[in-house]
Amino acid sequence: MKDENMLWQIRRFVYQHFADIARAPRVDETASRFKISVNDAGAFYTELNNRHAFFLEPNTLDIRMAFPFSAAPTDFTVQANGKTYFANCAWDMLGIPTALHCDALIDAKFSESNEPVQLEVKEGKVTNGELLIHFPLPFTRWYDDLVFT
Amino acid sequence: MLLFQSEEWIDKWCKRNSLERGEVLTVNQLWELSQPWYGNRLSADFRGRSVEQVAEIFRGAGLKSKFWYR
Repeated sequence: MKDENMLWQIRRFVYQHFADIARAPRVDETASRFKISVNDAGAFYTELNNRHAFFLEPNTLDIRMAFPFSAAPTDFTVQANGKTYFANCAWDMLGIPTALHCDALIDAKFSESNEPVQLEVKEGKVTNGELLIHFPLPFTRWYDDLVFT
Repeated sequence: MLLFQSEEWIDKWCKRNSLERGEVLTVNQLWELSQPWYGNRLSADFRGRSVEQVAEIFRGAGLKSKFWYR
């Protein structure tokens, strides 16, 4: 990758875009923002995917995950700063208010029972702190199958 | 990572999916771990982490089992 500085600027843009409007920027939007071709923006997206900075839907240039944000609807919804975000998993539902440094209302579902539950992050603390989060895979295998993880 | 109301529900999920049980943290523990893990994620300086940096965060959160380091 010839322009390492632009690579990380694009990574920052993607994350800030998620934070600002709760969705990922399309590759053409990123190309327009940086005044580069869509092909070049796609190459940067691919490189950032390869470096695990964010993750694309397979065989596309559509961003699926920029941890903790999810571009696809999930069972973990986070209301924060007047916006509604989807988190990738139970960890990321906590990661969104942490990344945004704000209070949040989290609507989640328990696995297996499918019952709904609500958690609140307020002034640096979280409610329902006794609930459990299961990590099925060790860290070194988290990237083998991200949707499963 | 999935959310459960009790250990019993985790065991049911593992059995139904024919998977071994992994590690379990409380929401409070994971909230504490989230601070070093996600607190700087929107920073312009964030460039990802090495395996060693990840291990340092896990150690700082008091996670001692081999699960977090293998």
